[in-house]
Amino acid sequence: MLAYMLLIVEAQGERRLRAAEEGRALYGKMLDYTASLKRRGLLLASESLRSSAARLSIRAGRQSIVDGPFTEAKELVGGFFLLGCATREQALGLAAECPAAEWATVEVREIGPCYE
Amino acid sequence: MTAAQAHRTIDALWRIESARIIAALTRLLRDVALAEELAQDALLAALEQWPRSGIPDNPGAWLMATAKHRAIDQLRRQRMLARKHEALGHELEMAQSDNDGRLEERADEAVGDDLLRLMFIACHPLLSTEARTALTLKLLAGLTTAEIARAFLVPEPTIAQRIVRAKRTLAAARVPFETLRPEQLRERLSSVMEVIYLVFNEGYSATGGEHWVRHSMCEEALRLGRVLAELAPRDAEAHGLVALMEIQASRLKARIGAGGEPILLMQQNRALWDRLLIQRGLIALARGEALGESRGPYLLQAAIAACHARAASPAETDWVLITALYDELARLTPSPVVELNRAVAVSMAYGPAAGLELTDRLAAQGVLRSYHLLPSVRGDLLARLGRYEEARGEFERAAALTHNTRECRLLRERAAACEDERDEEE
Repeated sequence: MLAYMLLIVEAQGERRLRAAEEGRALYGKMLDYTASLKRRGLLLASESLRSSAARLSIRAGRQSIVDGPFTEAKELVGGFFLLGCATREQALGLAAECPAAEWATVEVREIGPCYE
Repeated sequence: MTAAQAHRTIDALWRIESARIIAALTRLLRDVALAEELAQDALLAALEQWPRSGIPDNPGAWLMATAKHRAIDQLRRQRMLARKHEALGHELEMAQSDNDGRLEERADEAVGDDLLRLMFIACHPLLSTEARTALTLKLLAGLTTAEIARAFLVPEPTIAQRIVRAKRTLAAARVPFETLRPEQLRERLSSVMEVIYLVFNEGYSATGGEHWVRHSMCEEALRLGRVLAELAPRDAEAHGLVALMEIQASRLKARIGAGGEPILLMQQNRALWDRLLIQRGLIALARGEALGESRGPYLLQAAIAACHARAASPAETDWVLITALYDELARLTPSPVVELNRAVAVSMAYGPAAGLELTDRLAAQGVLRSYHLLPSVRGDLLARLGRYEEARGEFERAAALTHNTRECRLLRERAAACEDERDEEE
């Protein structure tokens, strides 16, 4: 199955600058967008993500876990939509409808193997 | 932006936007053919303007708005004409009993109802199954006549003619004016589901055609099924159909070998099954079952598919549950193919002898005489019982009946293996 993922890339810390009411209103817009994707049978999965995070890596057999916030990072992934659409053009067309494109960046990625 | 880029974008968008546009225009105009024509006009306008002006911010909304303007213009013209011809005017009055001021407002009414109505129109009982399928793919999946022809291995003019005739039949019977009685809803929904599942199976069964064309048929059917389940959320069977298709589609990568040979469910590499689709299928199944009606054929088949999807290996399959589900399915939609599948499940749950007894009955009835899977299943059960000579005969019979060369070779190999076993015993 061909699929594309929309990643919502937000500026770090921007959520905290918003009034709670405004944040909820934007979230509501995203839920409407999700519903419209669903009605068209194009949505495979979607979630929004909280800001808090932990980072895990294993180097030379040693595991390290670092808890956020990561002040050095400029951006964070705020959520995703997995779309069951066949072409990049469709994915871009659907990304253009995403309300978050106005306050964040919508990154369009094709599903596929992770080696170049 | 180059013209080629714009064309690619427009083609791609048409696939996912055209159904909603045609549906909205059909409500305004009560004429499927005209609705499609005006929607196509909007597409042409995009092809003309976008290469120069760039793609609009919200291309889907642009197409919808442009198409609606054209429809409203058309209605105004019709109405002016109607004032001149009172007889025609009366008819239009009945069809569109509000004034110009309300036209714009009405153009934005719920899209969902429009889409469901368009599905009902395209799958109308007046039309043959072939016509329903072609019309559904054209109007609801946004495929071109050429693409439909390729998927069904039929010459393009045949499909084009089928669609033209279907539209004529619908117009003559004034189908777009029809209001459905509640008791008709169920029947119409099942007609839509039948067409969707037919499209899915056209893609799923390896009867021919190019590989990617078949896969895209599965994808289109899945998409339409998901749309239908959203439009009719209280219909348990709509969820059942989606569940069944999601779970079957999860095996698309595992069911064809590297050499293009079909791989049976029990031999598939389950690591290749698409977990996301399985998960979606299980959720759809749960939604359908939660509605609490007695289960229909799609929910039952989905429940069977789910048993396989849940099992990490063939040995862990809950065959007792599958047998019970097949019992229920056989009572609801008795058919020799269901009976044969039930026999396989029974043999897995209760041993090959019990399964063989059921296939004996089928063989005695003389049904499925030309269906290679009956002797193939019997061969398998007889071999499991150590009755190799009889098993060999069944595999040979099955090999002679199949039209698939790879499957034929596989069956002959099994026949030869039975011969070896028998020789060893002697």
